This record gives sequence, C-alpha cells and structure tokens, in this order.
Amino acid sequence: MSKTTGKMIRQPKVNRFVHWTAAVSIIMLIITGLGQMPLYGRYLGPNPPVFLEWLQSYEITLWLHYTFASILIFTAIFHLIHHLIRKEFAIVPRKGDLKGSYHLMKAMILKKPEPPSHKYLPEQRLAYALFAVSILLLVVTGAFKVYQNVAGGSLSNTMMVVMTTGHNIGTVLIIFAFIGHMAAFLFKDNRKMLPGMFTGKVDQEYVKHRHSLWYDELKQKKQRKNKKIS
Amino acid sequence: MDRRNFLKRASAATAAAAVMTTSNKWVSASAIDEDKQIGSIIDLSKCDGCEYQDTPLCVAACKTKNEHRFPQPEKPIQDYWPRDHHEDWSDEQERIDRLTPYNWTFVDSVEVDYNGEKKKVHVPRRCMHCDDATCQKLCPFGVIYKSEHGAVTIDEDFCMGGAKCRSACPWDIPQRQAGVGLYKNLAPTFAGGGVMFKCDMCVDLLEKGEKPACETSCPRDAITFGPLEEMRMEANRRANDMGGFVYGDEENGGTHTFYVSEVPYEKIDEAIQRDKQVNEDQRPGRPHMKPEVENLLYTAHGFTLAMMIAPVAGAAAAGITAYKTLKKEEVEEVDIDE
Repeated sequence: MSKTTGKMIRQPKVNRFVHWTAAVSIIMLIITGLGQMPLYGRYLGPNPPVFLEWLQSYEITLWLHYTFASILIFTAIFHLIHHLIRKEFAIVPRKGDLKGSYHLMKAMILKKPEPPSHKYLPEQRLAYALFAVSILLLVVTGAFKVYQNVAGGSLSNTMMVVMTTGHNIGTVLIIFAFIGHMAAFLFKDNRKMLPGMFTGKVDQEYVKHRHSLWYDELKQKKQRKNKKIS
Repeated sequence: MDRRNFLKRASAATAAAAVMTTSNKWVSASAIDEDKQIGSIIDLSKCDGCEYQDTPLCVAACKTKNEHRFPQPEKPIQDYWPRDHHEDWSDEQERIDRLTPYNWTFVDSVEVDYNGEKKKVHVPRRCMHCDDATCQKLCPFGVIYKSEHGAVTIDEDFCMGGAKCRSACPWDIPQRQAGVGLYKNLAPTFAGGGVMFKCDMCVDLLEKGEKPACETSCPRDAITFGPLEEMRMEANRRANDMGGFVYGDEENGGTHTFYVSEVPYEKIDEAIQRDKQVNEDQRPGRPHMKPEVENLLYTAHGFTLAMMIAPVAGAAAAGITAYKTLKKEEVEEVDIDE
C-alpha cells in the first residue's frame, strides 16, 4: 500500500487477469451458446444489422463458442492450480456463509452496522461457488459434446440427452450467476470494491471498516515479518 | 515455502489436471452397433417414378404406414412472434411433390441433358441417415437419436421445432409443422416452432427384422435395404458395371443411403435447380443433389486439440506464475499502526 494515496492491494495482477479473461470468455460463451438455438434467426429477423449478422450463423457461433471455451478452460485450470500452490483459499465458501450473507444483506438494506468480513464477503464466496459449480457443469458436459461433435466420437442416446440437458442447465445457472454478480453493484457499499478489479487497489479506510478481519490478518502477517527481521 | 514443497504441490496439481483431461473412460459407448448397421441403395436406373400411378408406390406406402403419426394442429396457429409467419402444411396433407411433415419421401422427376440427349430421371428423396449426422449432433435439446441400425430419428414428443436440424442438414431434409408439440405447453408465443418430421428408416420395422415400407412397395426393386457395408459394396459394383456414379458414400462425411445412377449427379442437380427456377419454386422440401457436400463439423477438428491443450497449458502457466510470485512474495505494503 502506498501511504500517500491511502490505497492497498486487493487484487494482484494474476487475479485481475483471471477475472477479466473469465468474464470476457463467459459473456462470449453465453452469446454464442444462445446462438446455438434458433434465437437470433427469429428475434433479429431476416435483415439484422450488418454487425450482428454473424450471430445468425450456427457455424460461426459454434467455432467462436469452442474458441472461448478453450480460453475459459485454460483460465479455470490456471486459477485453480495457481491458488492451490499458493494455498490461497480466501474465496472458498465457509461454514455459516448463508447466514452471514443474510445478516450482511439485512445490514446493507437497513443501513445498520455490518458484521466484520474477511477479504471476501460471505455472499461473494457463495457467488464464487455458484460460478464454480456452473463452470464445472458446463465444462464437463461441454467436453462430452465436443468429443461427439468434433472429435469424431459418438455418445449413446441417453448420454446425449443427459449431456445436452446438463449443458442447458449450466447455461441457465451461469446466466443467473452473472445477473447476481452485476446486481451486487446496486448496493453502494459494494461499489468501493470495483477499483480493485481495474487497478488492483482499494481504499485502505474501506478495508479497515468493512473487511476488518482481513485487515487484522495482514496486520499480524506484517508483525510476524517485522519480528523475523529484528 | 521451500523448493521441495513447491515441486511436490505443483506436480500433484499437474497430475490431477492431466488425469482430468486425458481420462476417456467416462464416455459411454455409442448406441450404434456396427454389426447391425443398415444401409440402402436407391437405383435411379431402375426407378421409373411409378409414372403410371397417381402417387409413386413408395410415397404412398410411406404415407400409409406413418399417417397415424402425422401432426394435427389446432387452428388458428400462432405466428412465430415477433415474425409474422409460421410453417403450416396441414392444409396440404396430400401434397407429394416435396418433403413435408405429411410426406417423408417423394420422387423428384426431372429432365436431364446428358451426352447430347434429354433423359428423364426419377429421384426418390428422403433422409440420407448420415454417419455423422449434423442434425443429430447439433440439436440444442439432444432429442435426435440414432438407432442401433444407424437410423436418425427425431423424438416428436420432445422436439421444440426450432428447425436448427434443417439448417444443419446439407439437404434441408426435416420439415416443420407449427401448432403441435411440446412448445405449445411452454411459452408458445416466445419459443419453439412446432415439430420437425422426416423419414426414420421405418426403424420399428427394422427392429422386427422387417424391411422398410418404401422397399417392399417398390415394384421395380429400385430400393434395397441391407447390411451397410454390403449395400456400399453393391452400390459401387452396380455403378462400375453401368459406368455410372454413387451419391451418398462420401457426401456429408458418409451416409447410409447410396444412390446409383448412369447420369452424373451434377447434371441431376442442375436439372433440379433449373426446374425450381422455371416454376419459381422456393418452398422448402425439395433438396439439391450437389456432389461432395462437406460435413460442417469436419472443419473443426483443430478445436479438439485446442481444448485438450488448454487445461495442460493452464496448469503449466499456473505453476510458473505461482513459483515466481512465491519466490518474489509480493507482501502488500499495508499502513498498519502497530
């Protein structure tokens, strides 16, 4: 943190890379995935704007879907292994997160003092879990579909229905997760976290006030480090 | 963290990723039984289109066998909102000049210019039952099946009638009837379009060891069903004997239907296109006969490689970045009152 600006690092470069790569690929996967249904043909009509014509091509949207799927798989595995090695599990849901989310939301709505939080709020950890489950479901079912479509494999009729339905359920889940993620910024308090995903830094005062448990962790870490030095 | 611990963790994580990405054992075997694969020959040198009949006998037999499955929509039928149309063939159930939800095979009779003379060619048309059926693989709800014989069948109970299968089919074979099917019970104004219908190779008869209706009704033995490889060899033998051509062996990556003709298929296709032009025939259900049709999924094999590489590359990149950051240990400079 720089003392002059009163900012501190919340999201290092690696986190920002993962977040934005995943965000772009998920948004593109939703757009191109919906393009695998006869949606754009019907709703954009026979004369869509030139820049949207590509959406009506099953072929173009499918190839783009596979491209962004490869990017998302890379990012997901990178994210998992990077944090496993570094033993960083701050965003993994904890016992009591459901209750904690309820109390935090209640406090935000009623403008009451919030319970202290770690680096991530309980609902952020739950949102992460929803994204993780959706992505896992989509990647596993998608892998079967790719195996069948472009790897020259074939699935039994039952597997085909299960994988296709699973993929469709995953799509609905991730759309909900995305809407929920965006809806979080309806609360003014949450907007102070936004700069963290652009510059990596957030206000220290904000951290002290809202993420006091994380702040205390960092404090202890620094004290240990100082002891070592002396 | 020391180097040994780091390496231990990194290798465990990489091994886990490798197992996840290379395991193929979860993939269920295909429903297709190679020994039971059925193919068919449609010999254009034998088909005379039953010109002496009101309706070609194969078409009549197909209609009779399947009429209990023909859709009967409730009128009035809603348009596909926000568009101002819907596909309705229910007032044309007797139509036999094209594929419709009420006519799953038809005979396209055209005059072909070949070797300086005009020749009448009769081409029975229906689903080709492709090896790698794009309609089946790309159905967004996974409700197009392959029987153990290789017949491609649409599940009429769960089809939403989006007609993607028709767009994905190189010959635009499946045809749609609005006002029937599952979509009527969901959100009929906003999604779905009816049910798609096409030839199912009389799969119920095949299961009983019987022959499809079009074959048994053909008075000239122009249609023959049998073991796939036998049919393929026989089609090629007949084509060689007559100095002719086979259609369906290579097209769309291979199909279960082998047309045999003395006339090149380019010529037949030209005749079909010309006839459509002359009669201003733009309605669906009259397929082309262009040779060497490509399977759209075959252009994408590179994606398989990309998806196999992605997790391995992700794991490797993670190992490198984790190692670098741990070594550097970016401790945040926190202004903390101690």
